[in-house]
Amino acid sequence: MSVRIRLTAFCFAGAWAAMAATAVAQVYVGHDIPRGGNVEISGGVGWAAGNDLGSISAEETRNTGTGTGPFVLFDADSKMKAAAGLQAHIGMFVSSAVSIEGGVLGARPHVTTQLSGDAESASDLIADETLTRLIIDGSVLFHFTGASFGGGRGVPFVFGGGGYLRDAHEKNEVIDTGHEYHAGAGLHYWTGQGKHRVGIRADGGLSWRTGGADFSGTTRAVPTITGSIAYLF
Amino acid sequence: MRRASALMLTALMVAALSSPVSAYLKLGTKLGTRTVTLKWSQLPIRYFVTDRGTSGVTSTQLQQAVQSAFSTWEGVPTAQISSQFVGFTLATPSSGDGATVIGFQNRPGLDRTLGATSFMIDTTTGAIVESDIFFNSAFSWSVSAQGESGSFDLQSIALHEIGHLHGLAHSAMGETELRPGGRRVIAAEAVMFPIAFSAGTILGRTLRADDIAGIGDIYPSSTYTRNTGSISGKVTKSGKGVLGAHVIAFDMQTQKLVGGFSLSDDGSFVIAGLDPGPHVLRVEPLDDGDIESFFDATLNIDVDFRAQFYNKIIVVPKAGGTGGVELKVVAK
Repeated sequence: MSVRIRLTAFCFAGAWAAMAATAVAQVYVGHDIPRGGNVEISGGVGWAAGNDLGSISAEETRNTGTGTGPFVLFDADSKMKAAAGLQAHIGMFVSSAVSIEGGVLGARPHVTTQLSGDAESASDLIADETLTRLIIDGSVLFHFTGASFGGGRGVPFVFGGGGYLRDAHEKNEVIDTGHEYHAGAGLHYWTGQGKHRVGIRADGGLSWRTGGADFSGTTRAVPTITGSIAYLF
Repeated sequence: MRRASALMLTALMVAALSSPVSAYLKLGTKLGTRTVTLKWSQLPIRYFVTDRGTSGVTSTQLQQAVQSAFSTWEGVPTAQISSQFVGFTLATPSSGDGATVIGFQNRPGLDRTLGATSFMIDTTTGAIVESDIFFNSAFSWSVSAQGESGSFDLQSIALHEIGHLHGLAHSAMGETELRPGGRRVIAAEAVMFPIAFSAGTILGRTLRADDIAGIGDIYPSSTYTRNTGSISGKVTKSGKGVLGAHVIAFDMQTQKLVGGFSLSDDGSFVIAGLDPGPHVLRVEPLDDGDIESFFDATLNIDVDFRAQFYNKIIVVPKAGGTGGVELKVVAK
């Protein structure tokens, strides 16, 4: 009787050990990095650096014989302040290395306009307003699977894409739209095991923006960084 | 009942006025206790041109210059106006004959007046029923496409006077400097500025944003109603309204300048005909020398305050208005 009990206990222990060994092998072989067909959902915060929106002047047409160039009534120098916002993405892995994704970013950046050089000596002043900014974009990500680390958990990537820029002025009654193109590099770090995994994602890059709330008519290069919680399935 | 009214505008004085600031202004008149905007109630405006030219300008060239000026105003998409040249006449451009007549008159006594516009109005409705324009042939005139040194451009001056004929008063969007014998324009951003550009230039042939906003305000087309907006508010000093302050709206996207005046004792102003988008707001006093070119001399126009900016960017909505702006100014 006592012999049978020991055998049973031994057999259970052996079976558990075998299963554990098998499970570890499956994670390492099948899910070290995302593979084609995996879907990633991420959300977090984004930050964009401030940028110039252009220097303009209030000008009047100069009479002949009174000087050259337009008469400047005053100057207006506008800047977009750095702003943090919320962002979310959904993407699909086409292969272990390549994924495509779409995303949205919302922020409330502050615009300031330095008014100076008044012809009637009005005191310099900073006028301001707050925008509601929305960027809807699409990107292609290329993951350097050969450079993964941490047992396949950490995977660096580069990305590039473009999107639609929408700036709503205060009261949301006036909308300025434009385009945005971006490129950069980042890192995925996955935790857990199995098909459903959670990870973190961080990236940084440059966003080239045309249109939107802008008084210069030029393309602005804006440094950006984002940090997200990501879910893979 | 119709009665002749002596609303004589001495426009485009070569010298005499003072400085800066902006704003279109509509002509108005008192009917009993109410003030009404002067405008034509019947379109097209039917006009005659005098069959007399002046040195260097034939009557046909006069008619062509006048017609070009009418066409320029009628080309404003935010305004609904029209005119019709009826024919040449031997009548003089003087009020009271029931016909709108435009032509030269020799007025050497008006040595600083290039031209003037007079009206006859219906005193029950304020509608303009006749308006006459004379160009002072005591000056040298030109209809040259590129302008002519030493001569005033007839089309430019006609554009200004026909602005009056439609009901626009003077704009203060300009700068002048004091010189021996009077003031000279340094710069202007409105055809309706009361002082003309120098002889020889054709800069005055082009309407500016302030003129366009003004004509649209008086004769709004559906485009005006659908696509423009306004800013309204008050100019106050020590808690009291400021009368006659000039408020300029600067469009940060198009760089257009359009202005308005505070026209009541509580300092209320409205600037209409603005493109939607962010604007900078600036207020300044109308200098003493300017007042009679813009307002009745009996009004207590406050010029004792400093020019200043408003501390918020004002966003003008499409087909709507942003109100409640209070510009608090301080005494000089």
